[in-house]
Amino acid sequence: MVKESKMAEMQRVGEVIEASTTDFVAQCYELYQIPPLGSLVKTGDLNAELYAVVCNAATTSLEPGRRPIARGKDETSEEEIYRSSPQLMKLLKSEFGALVVGHKKDAKLYHHLPPQPARIHSFVYQCTPAEVTEFGQSFDFLNILLNARLTVPTEELVAASLRQMSQAHQDPRVFLVAAGKELAILLSGNLNQLKAILGRIRQ
Amino acid sequence: MSLDLTKVAAQVGSMVARLKAGGEERKKRLKYALDILHDKSIDPDQLRKKIDSSQTTWLVAGLVDGLDQCYKPPFLPKEFTVIATDGSHIDVDRHRSTRCYLINIGTVVLGYGAQPQALLDSFPSLYFGDEDLVIAPDGAKGREQPIEGVLLGIKRSVDECHRLAELAAELPKGSFNLALLDGSLILWGLAGKVYPEFVTEALLNKGFLRYLEDMRKLNADRRLALASYISFPRSTDVVNALRVAICPYDPADCDRYCPNKARDCDRISGVQDRELFSNTLAPGERSALFTSQSKIVRENYGEHWVYFFYLRVDDEIARVEIPQWVAKDEDLLNLTHSLVLDQCRRGQGYPVALSEAHEQAVVTGVDRETFWQLVEASLVDEHLPTPTSAKSQSKRTRWV
Repeated sequence: MVKESKMAEMQRVGEVIEASTTDFVAQCYELYQIPPLGSLVKTGDLNAELYAVVCNAATTSLEPGRRPIARGKDETSEEEIYRSSPQLMKLLKSEFGALVVGHKKDAKLYHHLPPQPARIHSFVYQCTPAEVTEFGQSFDFLNILLNARLTVPTEELVAASLRQMSQAHQDPRVFLVAAGKELAILLSGNLNQLKAILGRIRQ
Repeated sequence: MSLDLTKVAAQVGSMVARLKAGGEERKKRLKYALDILHDKSIDPDQLRKKIDSSQTTWLVAGLVDGLDQCYKPPFLPKEFTVIATDGSHIDVDRHRSTRCYLINIGTVVLGYGAQPQALLDSFPSLYFGDEDLVIAPDGAKGREQPIEGVLLGIKRSVDECHRLAELAAELPKGSFNLALLDGSLILWGLAGKVYPEFVTEALLNKGFLRYLEDMRKLNADRRLALASYISFPRSTDVVNALRVAICPYDPADCDRYCPNKARDCDRISGVQDRELFSNTLAPGERSALFTSQSKIVRENYGEHWVYFFYLRVDDEIARVEIPQWVAKDEDLLNLTHSLVLDQCRRGQGYPVALSEAHEQAVVTGVDRETFWQLVEASLVDEHLPTPTSAKSQSKRTRWV
């Protein structure tokens, strides 16, 4: 219970609606309140906390058969559209996908996949800077990101996650240089990809 | 084997050819009907009296403020709320193991103004008790009417009205509001003496009309108009009033003067009210008010006597029905006109509150099947028998 109340103090961003060993999809509680691409989120139960990197997001109609239509022809601003059709906020949903990159069990952090996937309806929280810093002490998670099959280009996701993580560190540059060295080892056989990522994390 | 469309195609062709051939005749009839509508020599008071004293074989609209008046849309209040309900149901299936039915009521509250808000919800209710499955007369046994088919459809309308009254009761004092129902305020299923009197008493007098009365009373401390909306109406009440106007007999009496023979008024038969008003109303305008003279309204509705007007929304003519207490209160009548029109404009031609209520209420074919699976799985869990008919089985397990 202590763990639960501690989690409640953190920013709750959504709820798991699909889950597998490697990733999960969460629905946001508020429309458009999507955690940034590459940011670290966590979910879990009393047994384990799962850490995941936000790897894509989408805002769509709540019902697959009902497509949104253009409504703003006679409105002066985007805000007016939502004011004159207040039901829109209830008929659209924002979702994000997150790639599981590690887990914590019995206060010990692991940078590899957990034994169980997330549970449906478990809450998803944005990790605090302290948690991000702790998680970023090892770059082992980069291997999972580099090998994942994603809709977002791998270079974009790796770079976005490193940029996000660097913000939690006292000296982001030191963190990014260390990450760059790790990537140089991991991608020694793929210099094009290495270059693409380094180009995207350069400050 | 599914429907063989190649065999249907030729028949569709014949249907279209028939419609095309009748086009000129229809135009002629409509033009004549419009001439009568605009005929200034017809005295509305005289016509009203003639309609009241006539005996016709069709339903004639009662006149209130004339025939061809057009009213421009009134101004919208700055802050207002529109509430609506709609329903869907799963009927009793005699081929299934359990006798029960489900009514799902979708509800919508849309607040406009400085603090826009939307509440969308649905309330499914499963009815399975003996008292829910039949309507029984007080004290007498053996005349119970099972609630299924048409009667279930009527009960659903009553439930929609009940839920609407509950939503309306929560509206803030001093506010401007419109409560919307889909379809007609007249419970047509109860007309024509198909069901015994106690059924009408239970569903209409102690049901539908009671909830209308609850909503009427809410006007003590807030403004609440109530209306039902019929898209693409097929009614001919007003055209039938024109038939009375051109009837050479006064009072008209179809059975007496024109039994089994061609009638003068047949020159405008087949014309529908919406065709008339699509030629007279400009976008946003409403027609004159009319009253329904149907027997069920005359005998039961009292203060909730059904009035109606036609409203032009872009290309469509809709029929809006309102109870007498809305029709006779100019502010509520104007509120109905302006808010229904505004709802249609926000909803691409159909009131957005009603279309969202429908979306909340809808029960799809897949939902139905899943519901019955849930019922049967639950029975199996409790080791209860789940006998189903052989017919139902054969439909579910198809074989060659």
